[in-house]
Amino acid sequence: MRSAEMSSPLAKPQIIAHIQKSLNYTVFDSKWIPCSAKFVCLGNFARGTGVMQIYEVQHGEAQLIKEVEKPKPIKCGTFGATSLQQRHIATGDFDGNLNIWNLEMPELPVYTAKAHKEIINSIDGVGGLGIGDGAPEIVTGSRDGTVKVWDPRQKDSPVANMEPIEGETKRDCWTVAFGHAFNDQDRCVCAGYDNGDIKLFDLRNMSVRWETNIKNGVCCVEFDRKDINMNKLVTTSLEGKFHVFDMRTQHPTKGFASVSEKAHKSTIWQVRHLPQNRDIFMTAGGAGNLHLWKYEYPAQRCKKDSNGVDVGVAGSISLLQNATLSSQPIASLDWSPDKQGLCVCSSFDQSVRVLIVTKLNVV
Amino acid sequence: MSVATTERVVGLNAPPRAARKSAVGANAEQRRLWTPGTNDSNRRVEVFYARPHMSADASFSPHDYTTVDYNGKVPVEHLDYGYIEKCKDVKYLEKILKVLRSGKEGIYPQLINFCESHLEKLNPRSRALRKENSVVTAASLSKDEWSQVADELKIWQEETKQRDKSLQLHPISDDVVNKNMPPIRGSNCFVALSQNSNLKEKRESLKCVLPRDYREWDKFDVEEECEKIDGGQMVQSSAIINTGHSEIKTQLDVSLLMQEEKRLLANREKDKGNEAFKAKDYEEAVAYYSRSLSIIPSVAAFNNRAQAEINLKHWHNAMRDCQSVLQLEPGNVKALLRRATVHKHMGDSQLAAADLRMVLMEEPLNAAATQLLSEIEKKLIKCQPEEQRRGKKILIQEMEVEDSNSNHGTEQKVCPVEPSQPVGGEDGSAAPAEKGDMGNAQKKPHGRGDGGPHSESNSHHGHWKGKGGSSDKYKASQEAKDKEANGTSKRGSTASVQADQSGGSKGTLLGGSAGETVNLDAPCGALPPPLARLKNEGNLLFKNGQFADALEKYSHAIQGYTESGIDSPEDLCILYSNRAACYLKDGNSQDCIQDCTKALELQPFSLKPLLRRAMAYETLERYRKAYVDYKTVLQIDTSVQAAHDSVNRITRLLIEQDGPEWRENLPEIPLVPLSAQQHHIKEPPSAEVLQARAEKAARDAERKAEVLFTALKQEGNDFVKKGQHQDALGKYTECLKIKPEECVIYTNRALCYLKLERFTEAKQDCDAALKLEPTNKKAFYRRALANKGLKDYLACSSDLQEVLQQDPNVQEAEKELEEVTVLLRQSLADASSAKPRRTVPIIEIDGDEQSSCTGEDISINLHPTNSQEFGQALNAACSGKNTAACADLLASTDPQLLPQYLSTYLNGHTISFIMQALDSHLLEKDPNLVYQHLSYLHSTDRFSVVLMMLPKEEHHHMTQLFERLSAAESTEYTKNDVQNLANKYI
Repeated sequence: MRSAEMSSPLAKPQIIAHIQKSLNYTVFDSKWIPCSAKFVCLGNFARGTGVMQIYEVQHGEAQLIKEVEKPKPIKCGTFGATSLQQRHIATGDFDGNLNIWNLEMPELPVYTAKAHKEIINSIDGVGGLGIGDGAPEIVTGSRDGTVKVWDPRQKDSPVANMEPIEGETKRDCWTVAFGHAFNDQDRCVCAGYDNGDIKLFDLRNMSVRWETNIKNGVCCVEFDRKDINMNKLVTTSLEGKFHVFDMRTQHPTKGFASVSEKAHKSTIWQVRHLPQNRDIFMTAGGAGNLHLWKYEYPAQRCKKDSNGVDVGVAGSISLLQNATLSSQPIASLDWSPDKQGLCVCSSFDQSVRVLIVTKLNVV
Repeated sequence: MSVATTERVVGLNAPPRAARKSAVGANAEQRRLWTPGTNDSNRRVEVFYARPHMSADASFSPHDYTTVDYNGKVPVEHLDYGYIEKCKDVKYLEKILKVLRSGKEGIYPQLINFCESHLEKLNPRSRALRKENSVVTAASLSKDEWSQVADELKIWQEETKQRDKSLQLHPISDDVVNKNMPPIRGSNCFVALSQNSNLKEKRESLKCVLPRDYREWDKFDVEEECEKIDGGQMVQSSAIINTGHSEIKTQLDVSLLMQEEKRLLANREKDKGNEAFKAKDYEEAVAYYSRSLSIIPSVAAFNNRAQAEINLKHWHNAMRDCQSVLQLEPGNVKALLRRATVHKHMGDSQLAAADLRMVLMEEPLNAAATQLLSEIEKKLIKCQPEEQRRGKKILIQEMEVEDSNSNHGTEQKVCPVEPSQPVGGEDGSAAPAEKGDMGNAQKKPHGRGDGGPHSESNSHHGHWKGKGGSSDKYKASQEAKDKEANGTSKRGSTASVQADQSGGSKGTLLGGSAGETVNLDAPCGALPPPLARLKNEGNLLFKNGQFADALEKYSHAIQGYTESGIDSPEDLCILYSNRAACYLKDGNSQDCIQDCTKALELQPFSLKPLLRRAMAYETLERYRKAYVDYKTVLQIDTSVQAAHDSVNRITRLLIEQDGPEWRENLPEIPLVPLSAQQHHIKEPPSAEVLQARAEKAARDAERKAEVLFTALKQEGNDFVKKGQHQDALGKYTECLKIKPEECVIYTNRALCYLKLERFTEAKQDCDAALKLEPTNKKAFYRRALANKGLKDYLACSSDLQEVLQQDPNVQEAEKELEEVTVLLRQSLADASSAKPRRTVPIIEIDGDEQSSCTGEDISINLHPTNSQEFGQALNAACSGKNTAACADLLASTDPQLLPQYLSTYLNGHTISFIMQALDSHLLEKDPNLVYQHLSYLHSTDRFSVVLMMLPKEEHHHMTQLFERLSAAESTEYTKNDVQNLANKYI
């Protein structure tokens, strides 16, 4: 076994810890600034204020370039709805505020809205960076149970609001993600809730297109790509399982075919697809470990069921590599959109790490 | 403990891996294994039951697995090298491994390893094998590995920094960004969270709702209603399949993006294409590659799209993409390989083979190419005997053979045969569309279409092979193919039949029969014998189907031609054209086009190169160009059936491609001069054709120049308006380089010169303008100003008078005239010379345009080409008393032409002036010329009359001239000659 392991590194991707930086605050999210070697860390100071830091990767070190303190802890951020020229980050904070910041002048937000009554758990953007045709839009999911879609060109009110009708119990929305933005009309939002609900909203028809329950709280959902006809969706759950749904064929009753895998012994906090290859993704676990996966398509992605209705066929998943980084949960993970294999992750041991995953191109 | 002993025996007998360990170690381990087990009586029993199986029968039967209890505990004796070794049940092994790892039964690292490796053999992807690895750091990598990673990262960091900066340097305003964006979604649409409450959706706010969104709501309801009506059945049968490739925009508007962004975007779309390709969504892949290409065309995206198109069996599209790649990067192996595949599927084995051979030339070890080639060869060989059994092939020789030998009238004429058109015949040659080696003109085969691919490799192969003696496989096929072209039977209806004197009416392949004697040294046009021989050899080889060899011969001939420096464009044209035919046969359309183009440069509107080029273009699916060439062919000879067919076919294709406006995308179809039409059969393209082509080129150049000219002029005018006369000057000068005949530019430039106080130049420009437009007021006025600046008040006043005569309302002119008159008087008073009086041109202003130039004395055209120019120049010199200029004028004039030039300008003044000029300037330099001028001068009309009118003193001058002339020594004339001449004058 050992000898086999010694010979395989050549073929197998390796997860290399390149830079580790300890921080003096709890970091919730870390994001690469597109088209740069810089990343942003978002979090909260022990004194209860929010913080936003910009680091640049230089000479094997992460150098702090800028730090701004904000009144409220910042939970999440995205560059998904900004242009490459502007590269504004949209953030959600503990107080339910959606802010958009110009990182050159981060003192005042360029856009602000009181989006939710409670903490914004998750944020995603589409229509910017050349990813996704159509309008730039931001989606926020909050503990108040609502999911709202925002257009940065429209102040104060969301362009779409997905909330339980009166009388329904409000579930804590833990995660949101855009997808299906392959032309300028179609667009979907997927949201995951603390009770294991997953809902797929069709923004073109303004309807719930599909829903399911994976029995455990949904920690993270992500489409393999936002700007294609929805292809795959990965959802991770509280007890360490994740599901990969093939989103191409929706059976009227069975919905989407899926395959699941339990790899982590603890919560899977994050899943992120490699921007350069949609079939490779990394999950980040509550035990401080990372798993790199590859999805393989079945020979036929679609078959007929007994009634002659098309039903999807899920593929298989193989583990490419894993690595344990920390004893604390890894709360955020982001691949560099520009450099294949470069990623940044932050964990609750108050540190942010820059990792290099090698040989992704030969997988 | 007897159990344990047996167990140990099994363990020792176990295969190498287990046995490799020291027996002692194994024993010790196993003993330890057993100790905890003894506590559990249940398990003991199990063990005893299991034992006999193991010891009695070493190889497990499937039956054994059924006894395995997955839910129960793993019996301790299964934790054994022997058992694990033989166990093939992955699930159970995983279970064993779990027990071993848990350490409940003790820790046996070696056994764990053994179990793992065994499990890996059975199922390498078993989850049980997953181990938690600690993260790798730079230190744990080998130095090389890390430095590679680190270097890559460093390079990326530097590049990214640059990119980052460049992005920051181009802040774009929000307005610009927003302009290109889709509208904001209907505001605050509410979506209920549960699926069945869809219909309760309500809009909370109507603010900012755009009409588009209303429509969307409507649409939604309609669909919903439909579904309700259709009921459950509908629901049953409607799986939603998300494969909307048609809804993916394949063109992106990237006009507002920076280059950097475009590059990123193009790459991204290409990646998406690659992913879709991997997932076998080829149509989607094509859509994304198209998107990528619409942003920035790249070789990779074209190549990938070609492959996707191949997988979709869209051969034509694939071909187009391959061609695009090869245009961007000739010799791209992937594209060649893919084109070969396309050719193969379209039935063009020859072309496929040609491409594959090119690939193998680049990459001799390319396995895919080798395999494909051998497949194709097998196919070709298989096809041949089959075809031999088939009927004769009837082919139409579309065109005459262009070889200049063709009129030898002998049967041995050897010449390349045009791609010909199969008509019917059993085998039909009906490869599906785009048969490259048929010059691609036969996309709509006349045959029955049952020939299938490769039918063109034809029958009489053996025959040729024997004859040619070249048994190379490739050649064999080529020969075979050639035969088809060669076995020509004429179709009476084609106008061009006459030229094909080979084979002829025999209808079979007699023309090329082996026994035929071929005169390889037959003369070919103006070619020297060695080249003629090369060419004839080439022709023979071509006829025999050895295109590659023929190609070589022609290439040699062409090279020899250029080295020999012969000037016989017809022959070179034929050589190129013939070589083009070889290329065409070989499927090398690019080179074919090149050669045809060269041939056409030499001999515009020659039919064959045009037709060959058209076919080559068509092969490359450059339909527009092919269309133009075919059309040109038809202009030259309307009877070329292949061209008609092709034109029809291409028209359809283009309409399909471009819609009803397809014509707008066509390049210009050249007009074929009458001289080139129809005559092509009898004669090689004439000088007229060349001229026509030259004229066309000139026209084109003119058009281009016109554009440039206008732009320059405009710039110049703008500069003038701004007062930047120096800059304007430059622009105008450039203008004049393009069009030296533009009067306005001269007057404009004159103005600039005036402003810059460069009066001499200003005057010259005015003179030039007046030469072009003798009544140009502006020119006169500006020349007046220039003259004033030059203090030539007399000339100035005469110019002003001219202006006023043309238009009395020019007040500036009047004012100037008054001023100048004063100045003139002053200057006259100053200078005693009465000279100006004589040249005051007022007397001559009588509407005669020529006379208006009399004031000139500087700008003299010293190289007159007609009588008028000469006259102007002479007048100019005369009025300025500029004998030197006159002498120069005479020096540059052919004495024989002098009487003709001079006739209308002959008067006493001019004669005496010419005499003076000859006397004072030319006589010393060139007495011979003076003699000649004089000997012709007297033959001018009215000379004697004018001579009689000459005043006495002029006669005196003349006598002096002749005296000096006779004194000057010369070999060309004697004193007697001078005397005789003098007699005619005096």
